[in-house]
This record gives sequence, C-alpha cells and structure tokens, in this order.
Amino acid sequence: MKLLILAPLAAALHITPVVVLVKRPDAVQALLPGADAYFAREVHLSQTDAHRLHQEVDWSPEDGVLTLYTGKTGSTVVGALEFVRVDTPHGPIEVAVGFTPQGMVRGVIVTKATVETKPWVLEAVAAGLANQYRELQPGAVPHGAAAIASRAGNLAQYVAAEVDKGVARALAAYGTFYRGAKT
Amino acid sequence: MLYDLRRADASIKWLVTCLLATFGLSYLFGAVMVSLYAGFTPQRVAATYAGPAMSMPMPPDSTMIVEHPMSMADFARPETHAVDTNLLIQDTHVHVPMYGVIAAALSLVVVGLSLERAWALGLITLLFAAPWLDFAGMWLTKFVSPQCAIVTLIGGWAMGAGYAIVAALAVKQMWFSPERS
Repeated sequence: MKLLILAPLAAALHITPVVVLVKRPDAVQALLPGADAYFAREVHLSQTDAHRLHQEVDWSPEDGVLTLYTGKTGSTVVGALEFVRVDTPHGPIEVAVGFTPQGMVRGVIVTKATVETKPWVLEAVAAGLANQYRELQPGAVPHGAAAIASRAGNLAQYVAAEVDKGVARALAAYGTFYRGAKT
Repeated sequence: MLYDLRRADASIKWLVTCLLATFGLSYLFGAVMVSLYAGFTPQRVAATYAGPAMSMPMPPDSTMIVEHPMSMADFARPETHAVDTNLLIQDTHVHVPMYGVIAAALSLVVVGLSLERAWALGLITLLFAAPWLDFAGMWLTKFVSPQCAIVTLIGGWAMGAGYAIVAALAVKQMWFSPERS
C-alpha cells in the first residue's frame, strides 16, 4: 500500500542507480594496508590550478576541492588514497586509487558502478584490469582498456577506458597536489 | 470520432491495458528506486540536487590545503546521493525524451477516451507539463534555491496523478462502460 501511495512520486527524481561494489572502508583497508590513522587532505584549487588540472586530464573535481587521504602507522606513512568519480553516459563510476609512500600506484579498486555498468566492470576486473595500473607513477598514461582487450568484451573494454580516465585523474591530482605540496 | 477506445476491438483494448500496466509497474519500481537513492521530502530532494554547490565559495586566489584527521567510521558514513551539474545534464538528456514518449503514449490513450475537449486538452497538458516541472525543479534547485525542490515534487506528483487519471478512465471506459451503439 505504501508503494501505491509513493508511486506517483517515482517520477519525481531521476537517479542513476548507483551500486556499491566495494565499501569505502574496505577499499581503504585494502589500499592503505596496516594504517591505523587516517588524514583527509582537502586541496581547494585556485582557478589557475583548476584550469591546469582540467586541461591536463579533462576533469574538474566537485566544488573545486580535491580530497586525498593519507594512511599512517604510528608516524610512518603507509600511503595515500583518492576516490575519483567518472561520469559516463551510463551513470557514474567511482575508482579508488591507492599510492605507496614512493609515489607509485599500489592498487586500483572500482568501488561504485551503476546497475547498467556493474556487469561490465565485473568482467573487466575479472580480466585483470586492476593489475594493469600497479606501479604507475604520475606522468604515466594508464592503458588498462587496451591491456584487457583480448580477454574482455566490448562493453568491459569501454568501462575499462572509463576506469583509465579515473586513474589518470588520480595520478594527475596526486602528482601535482599531494607529492609536491606542503600543508 | 473514429478513434474511440470504448468501441475499439478487444485486441486494441488489451494493448492499451497492457501498456498502462507496464507504465504502472515501472512507476512502482521507480518509487522503490527513489526511496533507495534519495527521498520523498523537499529537504532530501534539495540535498540530492542542490548539494554543497549552493554554498560553494569562490575559488581561492592560490590553492589552499587543509588537512584533518579521519576515523574509519568517517569513511563508512553514508553519503548523500548527489547529482551534480554534469550528471543532471546527462539525466535530462536521457530522461526527458523518454518522458516525452510516455506522455505521448498516454495522450494517445486520452484522445481515444470519451471526454469533453477541455478535459482532454487539460489532461494532455498535465501529462507533458509534469516532466517539464519535474526537470525545471531540479535545475532551479541546483542554480536558484534549494526551496525549488518542491517544484520537482509537484512535477512528480503531477506525473503520477496524470497516469492514475488516464489509467482509471481508460480501464473504466474500455472494460466497464456499455459500448456506444
């Protein structure tokens, strides 16, 4: 009965249904292993830096704020982590990119997809997509989609290209605003 | 008028009934989806569409960095599903044509009903105006005021009401009214 009452409101909102593939705390634990303290570094971009980032990777973070997370064990830095959203015509995906203290990609996890893209993401991940990004450093160009081309279908390759974009954005943000920056 | 659903062949009536049932089913699941990903109050609609953009300050002259500690519980905190401008552009592009098609299909049913012209015109206007209000509300919520979320809710209710009226009238006239001679 409640549904019948609420049904007219169904059209009130048009939400691309997001599916959580990996919960954020699980992604944090996987990409910042052993960390027992976490810090959020919010980078409020100037217009110049926002423009530079946009030109570099065709991306402007929401509200002009980049958020990178640092994990520490005691006083030892375990690494850094960023969640990057990529909007696709099939709804947004979210990619978590973890970095080692040496500044290389430790791992990549697709944390969110949509009802439509979930099977494509799962196929791409099963084809070894996440492995393609390991040890990339800022300045490198991710080629995950091309790397899995022989093992995955067209739609998995398509969504892998979107993951590539997310990783490229994370690399640019990390390289420019985390490694070289001082708080 | 030649096109009269009350006098239509049973196969046509069945087609219209199935179409209405299909739309009804999709509206029901739409309601479930809305309850899962947003909400049914102006406040939650505003949180979904206005988001922090409404209070967004001007970019600083030079990039500023602020660091603060976080707990694992902060990572686990449920996020408000936010629809930013890019996603709203995409949603508008994808949904508006589909709502146009749905409004057109329901309007074709209206044209086949035995209604006074003014009522038919009013219903057709309602069917098309509802999605216009719906999306206008989203854009106004994002760029004018979170209070405009009510426009989106009115649009949603109008869409549901339009469907309910057309479905009720069509089923009544097709299956429960004596056929005209």
